[in-house]
Amino acid sequence: MSGSQKLHLTSKIMPYLDHHLILTLLEFLHANKIYGSETMLRAKLEVLSHTNLVDYMKDIYESLSCGTEDVIEQLSKRRNDVLKQLAESREEGVTIIDILSDKNVHTIMETTRDAKLLTNHLMKNTQFKWEYMDTVYKMAKIQYECGDYGGTSTFLYFYLLLMPPTDKNYLNVLWGKLASEILVQNWDVALEDLNKLREFIDNNSFGSSLQLLQQRTWLIHWSLFVFFNHTKGRDLIIDMFLYRPYYLNAIQTMCPHILRYLAAAVIINRSRRAALKDLVKVIQQESYAYKDPITEFLEHLYVNFDFEGARQKLHECDEVINSDFFLVACLEEFVENARLMIFETFCRIHQCISIGMLAEKLNMKPDAAECWIVNLIRQARLDAKIDSKLGYVVMGTPPLSPYEQLIEKIDTLSMRSDTLQALIERKVKEHRQESFMYG
Amino acid sequence: MSRFFATGSDSESETSSEEEPTPRAPAPAFTFSDEEEDTKRVVRSAKEKRYEDLMNTIKQIRNFKKIKDMSSMLSSFEDLMRAYTKAIPVINKEENGVTPRFYLRCLVELEDFISEVWEDREGRKNMSKNNSKSLSSLRQKLRKYNKDFEEDIAKFRENPDVADEDEEQPKSDADDDDGSDSSMDWDDDSDSSSSDSDDDIPGMSIRDRFLKSRTTGDKGDDEERKERKKERKEKDRKKARRDEEEDDDDEGPWVAVRGGVALPSEKPKMFPKDAEVDIPLVVKKLNEIVAARGKKRTDRREQIDLLHELQTIADQHHLGVAVDIKIKLAIISSIFDYNPKVSDVMKPEYWAKLLERISETLDLLMATPEITIGELVTDENENLEKPPYRIRGCVLTVVERLDEEFIKLLKECDPHSNEYVQRLTDEKRVANIIDKVQEFLERQKVPTDLCRIYLRKIEHLYYKFDPNVLKQKKGELPATEVTSVQIMDKLCKFIYDKDVTDRLRTRAILSHVYHHALHDNWFQARDLILMSHLQEAIQHSDPPTQILYNRTMAHLGLCAFRHANIKDAHNCLVDLMMTGKVKELLAQGLLPQRQHERSKEQEKVEKQRQMPFHMHINLELLECVYLVSAMLIEIPYMAAHEFDARRRMISKTFYQQLRSSERQSLVGPPESMREHVVAASKAMRNGNWALCKDLIINDKMNAKVWDLFYESDRVRGMLGRLIKEESLRTYLFTYSHVYDSISMDTLAKMFELDKPIVHSIISKMIINEELMASLDDPTQTVVMHRSEPSRLQSLALQLTDKVYNFVDSNERIFETKQGNFFLRGGNQGQFRQNYNRQDWNRQRRENRAY
Repeated sequence: MSGSQKLHLTSKIMPYLDHHLILTLLEFLHANKIYGSETMLRAKLEVLSHTNLVDYMKDIYESLSCGTEDVIEQLSKRRNDVLKQLAESREEGVTIIDILSDKNVHTIMETTRDAKLLTNHLMKNTQFKWEYMDTVYKMAKIQYECGDYGGTSTFLYFYLLLMPPTDKNYLNVLWGKLASEILVQNWDVALEDLNKLREFIDNNSFGSSLQLLQQRTWLIHWSLFVFFNHTKGRDLIIDMFLYRPYYLNAIQTMCPHILRYLAAAVIINRSRRAALKDLVKVIQQESYAYKDPITEFLEHLYVNFDFEGARQKLHECDEVINSDFFLVACLEEFVENARLMIFETFCRIHQCISIGMLAEKLNMKPDAAECWIVNLIRQARLDAKIDSKLGYVVMGTPPLSPYEQLIEKIDTLSMRSDTLQALIERKVKEHRQESFMYG
Repeated sequence: MSRFFATGSDSESETSSEEEPTPRAPAPAFTFSDEEEDTKRVVRSAKEKRYEDLMNTIKQIRNFKKIKDMSSMLSSFEDLMRAYTKAIPVINKEENGVTPRFYLRCLVELEDFISEVWEDREGRKNMSKNNSKSLSSLRQKLRKYNKDFEEDIAKFRENPDVADEDEEQPKSDADDDDGSDSSMDWDDDSDSSSSDSDDDIPGMSIRDRFLKSRTTGDKGDDEERKERKKERKEKDRKKARRDEEEDDDDEGPWVAVRGGVALPSEKPKMFPKDAEVDIPLVVKKLNEIVAARGKKRTDRREQIDLLHELQTIADQHHLGVAVDIKIKLAIISSIFDYNPKVSDVMKPEYWAKLLERISETLDLLMATPEITIGELVTDENENLEKPPYRIRGCVLTVVERLDEEFIKLLKECDPHSNEYVQRLTDEKRVANIIDKVQEFLERQKVPTDLCRIYLRKIEHLYYKFDPNVLKQKKGELPATEVTSVQIMDKLCKFIYDKDVTDRLRTRAILSHVYHHALHDNWFQARDLILMSHLQEAIQHSDPPTQILYNRTMAHLGLCAFRHANIKDAHNCLVDLMMTGKVKELLAQGLLPQRQHERSKEQEKVEKQRQMPFHMHINLELLECVYLVSAMLIEIPYMAAHEFDARRRMISKTFYQQLRSSERQSLVGPPESMREHVVAASKAMRNGNWALCKDLIINDKMNAKVWDLFYESDRVRGMLGRLIKEESLRTYLFTYSHVYDSISMDTLAKMFELDKPIVHSIISKMIINEELMASLDDPTQTVVMHRSEPSRLQSLALQLTDKVYNFVDSNERIFETKQGNFFLRGGNQGQFRQNYNRQDWNRQRRENRAY
């Protein structure tokens, strides 16, 4: 196993994902050419054998050119079976399909989202019966297996709208809905479903805490799809993983590898620097259980202040991110922010830095580094000057004199006392009025 | 009672006893009291029951008559009347309303007796007030009562000799045969004098005559009966002797009296010579012997011997494994019973015997898989004759008891004597037995039992260090080798999963953590203890568990120290060390208490909790580790906060040591471990790391403390590095104000540290705003910023701090009274958390940065 393969989390993540979701990961790996093409195809076949995506399997057999006649025949037989199943289920659920294709129903579903209204309408205008709901569930499942995710999501949407959360299939349906939304890449809805599912899991007690933990672990993994694709995901991932103790616990006990994504999310999220401290604590705590270049980067930078080490790790991060399905999209952002972090820390410690050294630490060419710093200064994010003759950056951070410290403290003090006084006065006034009115 | 029955004719009683041997069978030979007899009875008709009530009361009355206890007699008489009214329906049914003769007899006797006593004026005068009062009331009552039976009584008085046997004898014999027999023997020996004194009462004398004649007739009559009686008589005699012995029990002259001589002479009497020894007979005998268990007069020693004898007989007759096991179990429990007090320790010879018996039993059990043994098997369900056998008993409790006895034995020994070592060698055997039981129980697969035996095993395992674990970690041993950590893992996980009582799980967790900590598995140990959330609830658990918790924390602290996690080490140990009662907290000895003496009870209880010596944790090591950790944390902190008004003590114990040394006018060279640490702390305060290190790590300290660690060199290396680092920090804190800038190279040279480490330490200090300085990269120097406040300024800052607190508390008061009116953002929250005076500084910068 080569270095880059070692850093792969796909194998660690896979047990917590649905087969269809795994396929997307495998596709990515295949395209990335980290593993041999054949092994990839075989892996795909393995996964596919659990699904009903027969045509896809056939393709792979063909490209592997190892499909003997038996296999092909078996496949076509299975294909027929699947088709038959599909047709049967369609037949069974023909009324439902009719109902769903009814425009009125559609508009009600879209606009009101009110279960009562919808049931009333259905009961009056169509031959809807509650028994059909099981058929809906079954049909959705079959369609999902066959890869018709859009259809699945409409069915399940309908199901969720009508059924109360106490329904025995409710949890399964929620999972299915989330999966199909992810697979059709409808991120807004997926996020909604994710939240629904999370609430459901948090509010319902499962048989044992172990089961609960499992559900949460699954949710954590599935949510990665949403968080790294939705625009708001970057804030949400921090909120959910780091600041919800249940989920943080789940990560720490079940899947410390998720820390990579959490770390990456914190790094690229410039507005959430406050989370860094907490994150570093968690990373340190779990350092024996999980380590990868991204977490080590943070450790080097914020625990040991080892800039050289941080630089090396940043270099390694490049590779890791490039080969990671979730993170690949934010590579540039990541590198930019990581550099900024190094630089910021640097500035806080140093009063004078040579540009050459800085460039080296930032993995940049000296010219580019100078340009970068100039930009930073211009955007007023840095109080510094460049001494171009010596090639230094001189920080302009005069230390606070005790006098200033004093002033600042007293400043807020008076303000706080004022508000306190005002509040008390108001209270007293209210009290007086009351006693005046009643007494 | 015996006198009474004796009136019955010989032939009657004999035949009946012949005819009905079965109900008698379960009655044990050792019957001493009537209550015992009652419990043995099975199903009785209404008549039997009522009559028996009557009989018992009558018997009581007779006894009271003998001792002339009038008040008791009165109450018994009242009982009798009540019992008779209850019995009337039965009497009407069974005897056509004729009053039973035995009842009449009693009434007559009572009447005679009372009139006699009444007549005896002298005696009446001497009677106690209570008795005489009872006597008069009894007399009145009896007179009144007897009026109802006047006719019958008159008839009875005419011919008292016509026996009443036809009514009562058969049943009474069946019921009380054994009891009457044995008590009869007693009468023979001792009671004749008392009966003589009663002679003038007509009914009595007759009975006595009957009694005597019957006993003689008896002897001539029945072979077997005679045999049995003889045996019993001998036992009675033995009993008598034993009673004497018991008086001077402690000195133990009985050891000399008994011995091997008595045993062989008894042997033939175990069973009749020609009797066929088979399983029911042996079991019966066994039950007889066992039934005497726990009685006051039973000789426990003899019981053991008897059981052994029984076993040899059973062996001779090849009665099968089940019987063998059954007897062995009985032997084991009788050995356990040998000590009357739970707190006392077993005698070594019995201990050895016990070990042997138990392992024999277990071997037998293991060898015959078709045996079911359990507490749920009732006596009736037992099947000893052929497989599948079923035996009542519980191996698990036996082993648990054994383990407890073993620990008691160890605690009793002087830990520095040879004896202790010798005892300790038995540990292996005990562990072996536990292993066997474990194997045995694993076959049965009852989770709760398995949990219990696993915990036993864990308790023998958790404190033992297995060097293989560390070797395996280093890769010197293959990963397939099973080490104690793996075994612990397996056992504990089973308990976590299957245990239903919280206590077992708690103990398993603690032992598991202990074991991990012992083998340097710091992370596992830490995570486990954190996940268990035991810290919050431990004070509600039982003392032994709390002790285990303390022990675990101690080892966790040591482990953290070895891993250079000084803060964690300090936190683990601080609770133990703060009180100064480590010894007690770890149950390694009692400290004399200053305020109040312990009561004897309390002392006993506390002694029972003590750990046996071989499980002790070295207290000096613990204290040294604690003090050194405290030094490494406290000294830099003190240097950094020299002028801080809000400086808190991190470790009180350490402070005390430091101050007491400062108070001395003349400080000599360090002798004890504590003095070494204190001297080292003083050196560190001045940034003199070399001296500090010399004081902490030298031959004396090595011998006292550091060599006790498994890989002591590694620990010493770690310690040296930490001392350097912390000394550097202290140095910077203390002397930064005299520098304008320091070259990092010089610092690295001064403290013999690598430059990157120096850089990292200084960077950390700058980032954390501990050091007001910044680095100058091109020249590799630390440039100090003059921000040290002057005296006035620092006072002003302190004042603002105090005002700040004041405002804070005001707000808090307002909050609690009125609910939260203040929207506290993150900023304000942070104020409270950080008490450093540089807070402001930092926050402003952060605000600017983002």
